[in-house]
Amino acid sequence: MSLAQRVLLTWLFSLLFLIMLVLKLDEKAPWNWFIIFIPIWIFDTILIVMLIVKMAGRCKSGYDPRNGAQNMKKKSWYLTAMLLKLAFCLVLCAVLEQFTTMLLSLVFIPLWILLIGGLIELGYNVFYVRRD
Amino acid sequence: MLFSLRELVQWLGFAQFEIFIHISSLLIFTILLAMKVDKLLDLGWWNVFIPFFAADGLSTYFTAIVTVRLFQDGEKRQAVLRLFWILTILSLKFVFEMLLCQKLVEQTKGLWFGLIMSPVFILLQLLMIRACRVN
Repeated sequence: MSLAQRVLLTWLFSLLFLIMLVLKLDEKAPWNWFIIFIPIWIFDTILIVMLIVKMAGRCKSGYDPRNGAQNMKKKSWYLTAMLLKLAFCLVLCAVLEQFTTMLLSLVFIPLWILLIGGLIELGYNVFYVRRD
Repeated sequence: MLFSLRELVQWLGFAQFEIFIHISSLLIFTILLAMKVDKLLDLGWWNVFIPFFAADGLSTYFTAIVTVRLFQDGEKRQAVLRLFWILTILSLKFVFEMLLCQKLVEQTKGLWFGLIMSPVFILLQLLMIRACRVN
């Protein structure tokens, strides 16, 4: 997928989600929170499928694993991050729909793990790689 | 993930360090938000939003330094373009945060969410235009 396609995909789903969120918050649309999050579900599914296809491509016969060991680690982290985001959105929707009563601190745990992981990766790029 | 860090820096126009600051502010904000909603801490909404305001301030300071350095190196065009872009993004973000905080504090009916979100919609359009230019 080219950069333009990826940008367009992200932009489109973000715009759709924000429009639906505004409609819900302004009480113009009496929809379920799970419906409001549909653009997020579709976007996440696309990303997870793309990641799994890429990772499966490395398991094919004839692929030299020495070249991509680091890359595979990175892909696994990305997959974990996507699953954490998905878990956070699901639990948030369940709480907003009052399917369950839960402390917000517990709802935020997957997001915190995701953000801390992202910060570690970014911090490594900013402070460690640059120093090298 | 979907974008490499280099692509993200190119698209958003922010340096890696600035992205680091904004993600850190988001993390601290969510912690404060959870503590406020769960009543573990007695905080006002303006206090909960402090990490975002601090990140905006730090980012502006960082941008000012980079602009001065670029001017000193004689890259005036790039310095001005960068300054305008970052200040536009940061001001839109700041207006959104201010409006949201105001809404949460006062719960006024006149301030509807479509209005609060309008800076974010403008931001999305600007990002799309920039993406076309970067490509």
